[in-house]
Parts: sequence; C-alpha cells; structure tokens
Amino acid sequence: MPRWGMAVDLDSCTGCGACVTACRAENNISTVGDEQASLGRAKHWIRVERYWEGDFPDVRLKFRPVMCQQCNNAPCEPVCPTYASHHTEDGLNAQVYNRCIGTRYCANACPYNVRFFNFFNPSWEKPLHLQLNPDVSLREVGVMEKCTFCVQRIKATGIQAKAEGRAVRDGEIQPACAQACPPRALVFGDLEDPDSEVSRLSASPRGAALLEDLGTRPNVTYLPRLSQAI
Amino acid sequence: MPMDRRSFIRLTAITGASATLASCGNPENELIRFVPDEDIIPGQAVWKPSVCPLCSAGCGLTVRVMDADAEVTRNGQAGVVRIAAAKKLEGQPSHPVNQGTLCARGQSAIQVTYHPDRITQPLKRSGTRGDGRYDAISWDDALTELVGRLDALASAGNQTGLAFLARPGASHRRALVDQFLARFGAPGAVTFELFGDDVLRQANGLSFGRPQLPTLDLPNARFVLSFGADFLGTWNSPVAHAVGYGEFRRGRPDIRGRFVQVESRMSQTGANADEWVPVTPGTEGVLALGLAHLIMSATPRTAAGAGRAGALVDGWAGGLTAYTPDAVQAITGVDARRIERIAREFAASGPAVAIIAGPPLAQTNGLFNALAVNALNALVGSVGQPGGLFFTPQRDLAPAGSRASRPATSLSALASGILADGESPVQVLLVDGANPIFTAPRAWRVGEAIAKVPYIASFGSFLDETSGLADLILPDHSFLESWVDAAPESGSMVAVVSAAPPVMRPLYQTRAMPDVLLDVSRRLERPVDPPLPQAYEEALQTSFAALPATRPELGDAWAAVQEQGHWAGTLPAGAQAPAAAPAARGPVTMAEPQFDGDASQYPFHFLPYPSAAFLDGSLAHLPWLQEMPDPLTSAMWSQWVEINPATAARLGIGDGDVIEVASAHGSVRAPAVLTPGIAPDIVAMPVGQGHRMFTRYASGRGENPVGVLAPVTEATTGALAWAATRVRVTRAGGPDGRLILFAGGLREHVEHGR
Repeated sequence: MPRWGMAVDLDSCTGCGACVTACRAENNISTVGDEQASLGRAKHWIRVERYWEGDFPDVRLKFRPVMCQQCNNAPCEPVCPTYASHHTEDGLNAQVYNRCIGTRYCANACPYNVRFFNFFNPSWEKPLHLQLNPDVSLREVGVMEKCTFCVQRIKATGIQAKAEGRAVRDGEIQPACAQACPPRALVFGDLEDPDSEVSRLSASPRGAALLEDLGTRPNVTYLPRLSQAI
Repeated sequence: MPMDRRSFIRLTAITGASATLASCGNPENELIRFVPDEDIIPGQAVWKPSVCPLCSAGCGLTVRVMDADAEVTRNGQAGVVRIAAAKKLEGQPSHPVNQGTLCARGQSAIQVTYHPDRITQPLKRSGTRGDGRYDAISWDDALTELVGRLDALASAGNQTGLAFLARPGASHRRALVDQFLARFGAPGAVTFELFGDDVLRQANGLSFGRPQLPTLDLPNARFVLSFGADFLGTWNSPVAHAVGYGEFRRGRPDIRGRFVQVESRMSQTGANADEWVPVTPGTEGVLALGLAHLIMSATPRTAAGAGRAGALVDGWAGGLTAYTPDAVQAITGVDARRIERIAREFAASGPAVAIIAGPPLAQTNGLFNALAVNALNALVGSVGQPGGLFFTPQRDLAPAGSRASRPATSLSALASGILADGESPVQVLLVDGANPIFTAPRAWRVGEAIAKVPYIASFGSFLDETSGLADLILPDHSFLESWVDAAPESGSMVAVVSAAPPVMRPLYQTRAMPDVLLDVSRRLERPVDPPLPQAYEEALQTSFAALPATRPELGDAWAAVQEQGHWAGTLPAGAQAPAAAPAARGPVTMAEPQFDGDASQYPFHFLPYPSAAFLDGSLAHLPWLQEMPDPLTSAMWSQWVEINPATAARLGIGDGDVIEVASAHGSVRAPAVLTPGIAPDIVAMPVGQGHRMFTRYASGRGENPVGVLAPVTEATTGALAWAATRVRVTRAGGPDGRLILFAGGLREHVEHGR
C-alpha cells in the first residue's frame, strides 16, 4: 500500500501562485466574491504564505505554499462526530462530503488552517459552470472541504495502471498544483517507495515538517530556502 | 441508424431524462434536450492542443475536453445540448517554452470562453457612445455596414483613413491584419503596451544586432544579476524562465546558481534573490558601468572584448575611469564595498549573466541603462554562450511582398493627429481586443481622440473602455473555438511557432477575426488585389508547409502542429525573419534621469507595476484571477498602494488607511499596504484594477493608477517613461473596507494577528 506524500522545495518556489489557480480549476473550488472574501470566506486549498524578514534595505521575503499536510496523526480526524474526516489506507486525510454535518470541529482542530467551510451554496454564473470537472463532486452549504492530493487523479491513474497490469510509476500521478508548478518545486509521490523522488527529497537533511513539534507527523516535507549570505 | 449497445444506452438516457423533466415542474421550466452535433463519449476526456492568448509568451496548452450540458436556443426554443467542452487548461509537455507547466493567468484563460458577460453575437450601437446599449444585428447586415464604410473610404481615395488598433505580439493572425491593411492602402496596425519593451529591443538591436527580447539560459547559469527584471513574474516569458529557474537552483549536483536583484521595490522575482540590492531609481546603468570598470581593471578581460556593445558606451575604451566605486556609490546609493564584492563574484563565477527590464528602462535615460547592462554582458562574454543571453530565432511571418507599405504610427501620434483642428484623419477605426483608453496616460487624450473618430468597429469579446465606444461589434471566437497562433519572441533556445486548431465548437454566433477580415477583403467594391488567402487556416497551412518536419513520427510540420500545437526546430534558410541592419550610432554618454514633478512639491517616486494577476489590466475580468491572492500582499478583488512603514509612520498612515497619491497630472485613492520591501521615497501601485467598464467582475473596482502618470518619454526612443513621475502622498481617511486580504495562514499567525 502506498503512502502518498509531497516534498516542497522552497529553494525553487518562486511564489507565483500557479498552484493556487491549478487547484481551483481542478477541484471545482468556487470563487466567493469580494464581500464574502472580506469576511474571510475565500477558499484556497493551497495558498502561498509570505514571511517578511528585516527592514528596508536589509529585507527578505520567503514564500511557502501550504496545503493540507495529510498528517499521519491528524488532529482533524478524531474530533469528527460523523467520521466524515477520516484516514485512508494510503495515508490521506479524506473528507466524505455527504457525511459532513458542518460542526467545523475539524477546522478548529487543524493547526494549518487548511480546511474551508461552505458558508453558502457555491454558484457559477452561467456558462462558467461548463468548466466544472466532472471527476470532483461539488460541495454544498454546511460542508467542510479541503485538499485531497487530487484523489481523483490518484484513483484514475491507479485504475489505468491496474488495467495495464503494472504498478504506478513514480511521477505518473501529479496533483494539479505539482503539474502546473513551473520551477517544479512541488514533488508528489509514494513515500513507501524508497526510490521515488519524493522519498529522496523528504529524506534530505534539509527536510522539515511544518509545526513539527505538534506531533502531527505530516506527509508533506518542506526543504527550506538556502541562503548564500556572504 | 445501426443500434449498438452504446447508442442504445445514450438514447435511453436522453429520452429518460427528457421524460423525467417533462413530467415535473412548471411548463416554462421544461427543458428540451437537443441531439448533439458531435460524437461524444460521456465521461471520457480527450486532450487537444491549443495556444495561450493572454500574453505574448505564446505558451503551448493541452486542453482537457469532456462532455457538458450547454444551454442553447435553437429555432427560438430554449433547451439543453450535450457539447464537447474544454474543462481545464494545462501546459503542453512538448512545448519548448512552458514545458508542461502553466502560470495562474494562463490557467484562467478558460474563463474567457465561459465568461458570463461575453458578447455572443454582432451588435450595433443603439444608445450614445459608451453607455453600453446595443441592438442585435445579423452577421450579413454587420458586414455590409462595415464594407460600406470601407468602400466609402476607397471611393474617396482616402484609404489612409482606416486605422487598426491591435494587440501586441507576433503571430500569423497579426500578419494577416497587416496584409489586409497593406493591400487596402491603410497604414500598419497601431499597438500600445503600457509596460512595453521597445527600449530594450532598440538597445539589443544596437548592442547585438538583435532587436528582440532575450532569453536567459538559467539551467546553465551560475550567477544572475538582474536590474529590475521581473522575469519570474510578469515580464517577457515568465513561465519559461521559472522552469529554468528550478534547474538553476537544484538541477545540477553541487551547483546552486546565485541570483542578485537590483531594484527599489521588491518584485515577486526580487523576493527570490539571494541578495536584494535597492538602488536609486534611474541609476541602474551607472551601477552596471561601475561593475564593468572594476571587472576591466581587475581581470584579464579587456574593453575591446565587449565589441560593439562596449563601443556604444562613452568612456568604455578608456576603462570607464570615472566610474570608481565611490563615485558610483554617490550616484546609486549602493555601498562601494558591496559594488566591489558583486563585481568580484560576477567576474569569477561564470557563466554569469546580467539582465535589465522594467522600471530602469521606463526612465528618461532608459536606453543608457540598457546599453550599459548590455556592455557588461558583452564584457563577460555571456551573449549567445551557455548560461548567458540568447535570442530565439524568429520565423518570418509575412508572406513575400506583403510588408506594410506604410509604417505604423505610435498611439500618441495617432491620438494627437485625430485631435488636431478639423476633421479626424481617421474615419474608420478597427479595434482588436486592445484597450488603450485604459492603459495610455491621460495626457495623451486617447479617449477623446477615439471618441472623435466617426466610425468604430470592435472585434472584442467584451465591452471595455475602448470597445464600449464602438458603433459596431463583430465578436471574435474565443481562442478555444478557432485557430490560434503565436510566434514567441523569446523563452526558447530553438525557433518555435505555436498554432493549434479549434478545441471546441463555438458557443455563440461569433466569427474568427482573421476570417471576418478576409471576408471583408472579398466583399469590397474593389476587392483587394492580389487577393488574400481564403481563410486563416489556409494562411497557416501555407506558412507551415514551408517548414521541415521536426518530429517525423507526427508527419509533416502541418500535421505536427495539429497534433501538438506547435512547430519547433531549426529554421531553414529563407524562413528566418530578415535581420534588421543595426543603426550606426555614436557612443551614448551617461544621462541622469529626469522626473516629472518638482521634488519639493512631489517628494515620492511613483512606480506602477504590472499586476501579478491582471498584467496591464487586460485580465481583470477573470474571476479566478480577481480571487487569487497577490503573491506579495495576499490582496484579492482589491487595489492598493505600497508604502514603506517608516514613511507611513511619518505621514500618519496606518495599514489599510485610504491615501491619495497625486502627481501634477492626476490623482488616485486607494488603501495603503505597509511593506518593508520598498524604498522610503517610493510608492508603488499594481496596474489592473480601476476599470470603468469591463464586465461585472472588474467594473468600478478601485481607481486606475495610470491616471497619475505624466506623459514623459525616454529621451532617445520616445517610449513612455512610466516610472518617471513624482507624486505626493496624503492620508485621505481610515480603512474603507475595500482592501481584502486572504485571511488564511497558520493558526498561530492568524490568531496572533487578531
């Protein structure tokens, strides 16, 4: 059984936001408009955080894309009264939309703030709805949604590989964010496969998990930006 | 009709759905399900090539096409039909520019096709100009009307009374427009880009004989020194450079490229630099010459090694003795020891390359700055060498003997010509998706000039500030519904021409602009002679027939284009664009930048910059981009002014306060964003918001910072010096709630901020 994970090379990430839009396009994430966005209700399953350091003129800015860390010890899972938020065999923190009753306990428990609540029914002004991806279900009002590592792509590739009687190749599955990323800063793959690129990167001495001390044991590893200060 | 299992299931599904729908609800909500026009297998994705039309980079797309239910009206009856619809745009893996990746803007291009405010059929103005009232009109009537206007020009012998406003970027589409204009007898098409690169093109023509944008060979470079170039964000071919940047950082074992950015407001690209060097605006060229002086005096590299690029700089042959580190520090504000260190690194860690673009070229001395950096590149031998600057070979797009007989004029000259006393010299204006009323400085009075033209026809898909003045609208297909092509100026080491067939059937009663123009050329009383190609597709086919097959497994060049959406390879002799003879020119002396506005009255430099989401504002109508948090501020749906926190404190300005930025030419109000990545004497604003009219998503959102710009130009080239305006800044009030920041962040940060 694979364990899906991602390595994020912050030394290559340029902060461009291609991943943010790719995720929105792939996963039918609705725009909420300016009024709802000003209430903090915009949904971005992946976001690019920015960290300013220092003052002018010795100033630095660091970017960090943050999506669901797919924790092995996920705080969002045990708090769900309906088991909508649960752990899959292949290591994903999955969300069953039609089990979710909208308690929002999971969002409260998540230290990474990567779960998004639907405060109202999403809408697409016609004919924008023609773009919707039929492989991803739409979420209605009262339902929590989050990054799935593009589980629809994982499944589709798995089915294809099985039909062809072979194993899934490393790099064959790409979540939308990793696929769009121009500098290839996001690398996805199977952490149980010691030869996969994601395993190699995650094992790097540079690697670190986000808020590691909380003990969430994420499947996402960050490789911090290098500096060549002289 | 032979009935197999699949058709049987499809039929039962259709009749079943219709029966269910017919048996419930109100009669007025009954949905008729029409028979699809095309053979579609439900649930099965097909991938088709296309070309991103949103900027000049010309990235290749692969489009996921699947079935979808579209609402249509047929014979007056509303209903639903299953269509093959584009679902997602992704990078074409085999395309040499974007190599399988795509930026946020390119991915949002799909919303152009499905935009709810797209113009769906030809329209004729019924209200006064600019009030947005139009009546539907048939294509036949619309074309008759336009042809009548052109015939009137021709019979009066006034063919030069036709003007064409085009989008920038080379393509066969544009070549067809130029062909049409040349054969009709009209001047060439006018283009205007607020953040244009004419200064750099001219400088590269002078220094290297290549008047085009360069491509950085990042995968092989070890040191990149960038003067204001936002090559990972909005400038040139950002996706191509970002792909190369990934390899620059981690593509080679034990080598990590080093990157220094020189600029006075931190751009998205500058945020990635190992070292960020703020510099006094307009003095970038002096810094480059200071580095060149040190390199020439400390290493075996000689002044003569820089060839023509060096000879163009006054004092070069003598070793630039005036540009000592201390003298350069006094002018640029960069510490002398830092200059010495950067010069050492630049000379020692080859391949090293310098690049200049953006604000340093948008000064009155932009050409000097560009020539200085070009000479620095020539000195270290980075031109055309691995890890250096390259110029993508250019395909000659103009068929033999069809170059415009009359050169195109500039937008400002066109406007002042129209506004001169008497009748407008332009009697008929055709607009193809350009919106100069939004992007041109107010002092050029482009809006007034266009309003004075007696007849305007627009091919645009949306009503904006410019097309909203049109008397006739002949809406173009979206790029997914027609042939589309682009000839990238940069972003690839080999020549590349992107072109691709339609991905889906047109949703509406629209027609491809090139085909409309060709149709018009045949309908004229005196059809153009010699005749133009029958169709856009035919022109493309003829052009690609002249190119060799580069992937034999896909067939000839034309077959390959239809399969993968581009041709890439070595151009045969005769297919390459003719090289422009370099203009002979004496050495350029150091020129100090001049600014509009007195420093005592207007103490701040005003820096407009292309928005990461909307570029020059042409993409502000796409809701995905409106809701994409800005990389540096996380703002969405908003307009803002960036200001240094120390300056803000001195002026009593808090984060989010509304401030007024005023020049001698205009003022704009927007919320303040306090950021450390900007010099204390600069305020910066993204261009893109502030549309008066541009669909439901962009209209009335903030104010357009272009209104502040002075009509200052670069002294030699005449290009708009958009970074040379001085302004004053005052607090106008507290937060007005219009600055929307993305609330998401790690919980500890978000709650700490509350």
